[in-house]
Amino acid sequence: MKREWRLHVAMWMLSRLAAAQEREALVGDLMEEHALRATAISSAAALKWCLQQVCASALPLLWGRLRWATGMTTFGVAVLAYSAVGAVEYIVNRAMSSSPAAGPIAYTLPGLILPFPMVVLIAYFAARIRRRAPIMLGAIMLLMITVMTLTSAETVPTWYRVAYFLVGPAAALIGSALHSASRIQKAQQ
Amino acid sequence: MEVACVTYLFYITKQMKGSEDSLGSLEHVVLLAVMRLADNAYGMTVRREIESATGRDISIGAVYATLSRLDSKGFIHSYSGEPTAARGGRAKRYFRMTSVGQAAVHNTHEIIHKMSAGLKGLQSI
Repeated sequence: MKREWRLHVAMWMLSRLAAAQEREALVGDLMEEHALRATAISSAAALKWCLQQVCASALPLLWGRLRWATGMTTFGVAVLAYSAVGAVEYIVNRAMSSSPAAGPIAYTLPGLILPFPMVVLIAYFAARIRRRAPIMLGAIMLLMITVMTLTSAETVPTWYRVAYFLVGPAAALIGSALHSASRIQKAQQ
Repeated sequence: MEVACVTYLFYITKQMKGSEDSLGSLEHVVLLAVMRLADNAYGMTVRREIESATGRDISIGAVYATLSRLDSKGFIHSYSGEPTAARGGRAKRYFRMTSVGQAAVHNTHEIIHKMSAGLKGLQSI
């Protein structure tokens, strides 16, 4: 009875340590191996093995969950940065459309160049929070531009499409590179 | 134009992934175990296979953490199996290697082969 209680506690601990998507399979695997060992050796040895497995599994499972949480935080920072980039583009477009000298606002060179330093800055600060966030930001930008390119019915000049595809992700990568450079510089001092 | 955009997107994403394409030593061993087990690769059989082939006692948690990492890298994919009474009615989670995983194993072996070629201490291995 006492042995069974210990086994239940071990299984419960393992299920708490594992991520939700692998919990069922992991506990099932351990139960299967426990049953095999209990038949082949003894139930005491099987229980001992189970407890050892739970203890040895704690760190790798916690580390795996931490890595997942870190990845989600990086994604969150990248999404926030993308929202900031969207806000900057909106403000620049609004400012340009109110200028009487401006042509069709969306397809001018200044419309592409003006937000560039701001996107670099946003990527730089995103990298300060999460080092890999600008890379994810660049990937989100590429994805969104591709979706817009494929779904938009507007007639857009080819040069603008190509430039639009390059400028945003390039700015994100430059922001990331600037952050890396500043880290190296600090480390050397 | 659209095709060029999509191709460029995949190229850049692949470049950004960078180190994600490489295999750590445990990842390498686990991938080889999945390869050896073919249709019977699930957590506990992977652990047993590593133990019997290498004598290395590895915890089931470490196996699952590695399998999960390989899954997120696209080197393997998983699918649910049948629940059995011996498992308390819990289903197995089977793993199968993808073509990306095979390429990663091939690349790793090629690197090891190139780096160890001509080394005196390794000639007998």
